[in-house]
Amino acid sequence: MQSTAITDTMRPPFPAEPGAGVYSNKLGMWVFLASDVMFFTALIGSYIVLRFGMPSAWAAPGAVLNVPLTGINTFLLICSSVSMVKAYAAIADGKKYFLRKVPGKTLQDGGLKFWLLITIICGAGFVGVQVFEYIKLVGHGFTPTGYREGSVLAEHALADPVKYGAGVAGMYGSTFFTMTGFHGFHVTCGVISMLYLYFTKVLPEKYSAQDYRGIEVIGLYWHFVDLVWIILFTIVYLI
Amino acid sequence: MTTPTQTTHVRPNYMLIWLYLFVMTVIEIAAAFLSHIPKHWLILILLFFAIWKALLVAMYFMHLKFERWRLRLIFIVPLPLAIILVTTVIMEKIF
Amino acid sequence: MTSVAHAKPEAHDAHHAPMSFWQKYIFSTDHKIIGIQFLFVSLFFLLVGGLLAMQIRWQLGFPGKPMPGGGILPESMVSGGVILPEYYIQLVTMHGTFMVFFAIMPLLVGVYANFLIPLKVGAHDMAFPRINMWSFWLALLAGLIMLAGFFVPDGAPRAGWTMYAPLSARPDLSGATYSQQLWSVSIVVLGLSSVMGSVNYITTIINHRAPGMHFFRMPLSVWALFITAILAVLALPVLQGAAIMLLFDQTIGTHFFDPVAGGQALLWQHLFWFFGHPEVYILILPAMGMVSDIIANGSRKPIFGYHSMVFAIIGIAFLGWIVWGHHMFMSGMNPTLGSTFMVSTLLIAVPSAVKVFNWLGTMWRGNLHLHVPMLNAIGFVSMFTIGGLSGIFMAATPVDIPIHDTQFIVAHIHYVLFGGSLFALFAAIPFWYPKMFGRMMDERIGKIHFWLTFITYNLTFFPMHIIGMGGQMRRIYDPTIYDFLKPQQPINEFISYSAFALFAVQFLFMFNFLWSLKKGKVAPQNPWNDNGLEWSLPNPAPHGNWAPKTPNVYRGPYEFSAPEAGDADFLPQTKKLPTDRDPVPATLPGGH
Repeated sequence: MQSTAITDTMRPPFPAEPGAGVYSNKLGMWVFLASDVMFFTALIGSYIVLRFGMPSAWAAPGAVLNVPLTGINTFLLICSSVSMVKAYAAIADGKKYFLRKVPGKTLQDGGLKFWLLITIICGAGFVGVQVFEYIKLVGHGFTPTGYREGSVLAEHALADPVKYGAGVAGMYGSTFFTMTGFHGFHVTCGVISMLYLYFTKVLPEKYSAQDYRGIEVIGLYWHFVDLVWIILFTIVYLI
Repeated sequence: MTTPTQTTHVRPNYMLIWLYLFVMTVIEIAAAFLSHIPKHWLILILLFFAIWKALLVAMYFMHLKFERWRLRLIFIVPLPLAIILVTTVIMEKIF
Repeated sequence: MTSVAHAKPEAHDAHHAPMSFWQKYIFSTDHKIIGIQFLFVSLFFLLVGGLLAMQIRWQLGFPGKPMPGGGILPESMVSGGVILPEYYIQLVTMHGTFMVFFAIMPLLVGVYANFLIPLKVGAHDMAFPRINMWSFWLALLAGLIMLAGFFVPDGAPRAGWTMYAPLSARPDLSGATYSQQLWSVSIVVLGLSSVMGSVNYITTIINHRAPGMHFFRMPLSVWALFITAILAVLALPVLQGAAIMLLFDQTIGTHFFDPVAGGQALLWQHLFWFFGHPEVYILILPAMGMVSDIIANGSRKPIFGYHSMVFAIIGIAFLGWIVWGHHMFMSGMNPTLGSTFMVSTLLIAVPSAVKVFNWLGTMWRGNLHLHVPMLNAIGFVSMFTIGGLSGIFMAATPVDIPIHDTQFIVAHIHYVLFGGSLFALFAAIPFWYPKMFGRMMDERIGKIHFWLTFITYNLTFFPMHIIGMGGQMRRIYDPTIYDFLKPQQPINEFISYSAFALFAVQFLFMFNFLWSLKKGKVAPQNPWNDNGLEWSLPNPAPHGNWAPKTPNVYRGPYEFSAPEAGDADFLPQTKKLPTDRDPVPATLPGGH
């Protein structure tokens, strides 16, 4: 892969004192991500604290939530993260195209348009599976305020409170829907932003090896969202 | 292969990182269902894998491994604050 | 003579097509206009907060007596002119809410971070001008949502500005339904505005400093605003998370904070104060920074101990994250935790004291020019010191046990927020007024305003220490229901009279501010003979600041009475002396 010429737009502002050493949009996104860490800290931290305070209110892993399906969903999000970084690498090499035949290789070489589309599809797929899971859960009786009266899960909880969460199981549902809901909201915002960029800048080939700031910046956001999910999946679904 | 940061570096093998992430996720899910592991150990193992995966994403996909310390600091700073908040409030419950 | 570096023509400077009134003044992306927009809106909310305070003082001074003008308020609030208890608790809650979130914070940060940062570091505008514009409009939206709380059924929120759960989560307990939800929504929107603004401030300061503007040549106002922005970007999201959980408790029936259903009431307090303590440093650090600039200017001397001032700001911000429990000594939390918080709180007095001594050291043997900003800045130092000293009382847990939730705390709050932040604003507003509007505020009215404010303010808030020690609680509707408080009632009356006078005096400031917009003396380019970069531009500063050029910076910001300056007693940062060499801008990678 050829080296890319580093041009002015992708360098720190000039003339200026040495700062973070990166262009401002990237610095701004990193600062925003630091603030987002604190937002998820409030939600996830509250979950940890509430669970420590009343562990009996939680069901055993897999009893209520569909771990295999979410495991596949996690894999989907990780794939979207990989395709995102491949998209970034593609445009850094100037590959604005969709797919191109490479002599001597069986698989075609993917450009920005290809890899970003994969990312959008996988991201939208993740949201879709989450929504599907929510609908199933609410159908079984798992709501943000606890097990719905008369539902399947409410009966299970009465029969086996250790496995399904004792007494007021409201905490389990409240924390689950709040954390995963806001994560899903972040993913949705990411998908919408990528769609917007796809149609307004990627398809008209406005990004080039000289200026692909938007791709790098949305990439950082997307990887962050994946990172939060990695933590969430473990502590919400597996523990 | 250069990237728009001050350092030049060899581009990481993204597909290899993807493989690591996939394998670790499978191990995690399997471990969670091996019920003979005592709960405390299980939590530690799962957290270890989660943090390792998160670090892989941060270091390689978000390029933090190749950025200057100044940029890494921005992401690192909130973490001790998060730990302080959660541990302090949990200590509340221990009392 | 200033010399400038050559800049590559940047895309955004080239858009000098004529802008419509809407683009120029309403939907402006110019940081200076946005700062002025924040100024007008925040001063409005300051007035709202003041009007609420007047009603509180009426009730406390003359409990059960009909309030003059009470007739215009609806029967749900005021019965026969007498403030009802349900309304009184709304007044107390909303006074705190408006003052903290919509007056002081936007006045210090929204106005001065926006206005000063690009000017003082030599940038053309903020790093993200459009996000900056959104930051203002979201803040205004948040303020309007909060104000709407008075006009919805059941009236305004009434759990105190600290909104403790479960009282705030349960409409059946507090009596307020919709407005409590509006509070949560408003806070989330305000948090977004703050975070967007802070991202801008941090990025601009790190990446857009002009050549020669090393970090340790930045004025203390910029340092303070930088550290404040870091606090804001990390603290506000925690409040947003808490507010969202509260909103869910209020609307969809979750029980995050309801102990009956497995939630934890203290969780709210921990989350709120984890945000709340950095928040109070957000409310004081910019004030300290601007006061440093003004005191150096008014003393015609460099700030005493510039580096230690910077480290003190950093120290205060750093320690500020681990002291939040001192708001919760009486909450029933783990006593061991209480001791830890006591130690860290006592420690935080140290950097604050360093700053006070350094301000005194700056003034010592200085050539004092007691102009209006300087008078208010000195007022800040003295009043903040008193507020800080009362803080030491509260930091000690055993002492806090009797004085928690009494008027002593109220006195402390107002000494640091009014005596501190607001006096700093009374200094900053006339100081940078010429830069904003091209005119000077009237000096004579300013001096009368300062002295009258200083006197009535102390007469209002100092006695609160006394009645607090005497046992008068916070947020209480009628102190005279307790026999042991009856003897203190004359003091309450006295405080109320002083408060009415204090409020009336502020009309002098309001008049001065508004009248000078059109009739003030036209300002010379550098009316205060100050060294900051902003004074190298005409008044008011033009769109784009120095665009397309970028200024060069040759020295630090406090070169007052420097021998190199010759006859002048100040030496601007951008002035090139024959012995100065041009700063080299950051090189591009690969070197060139």
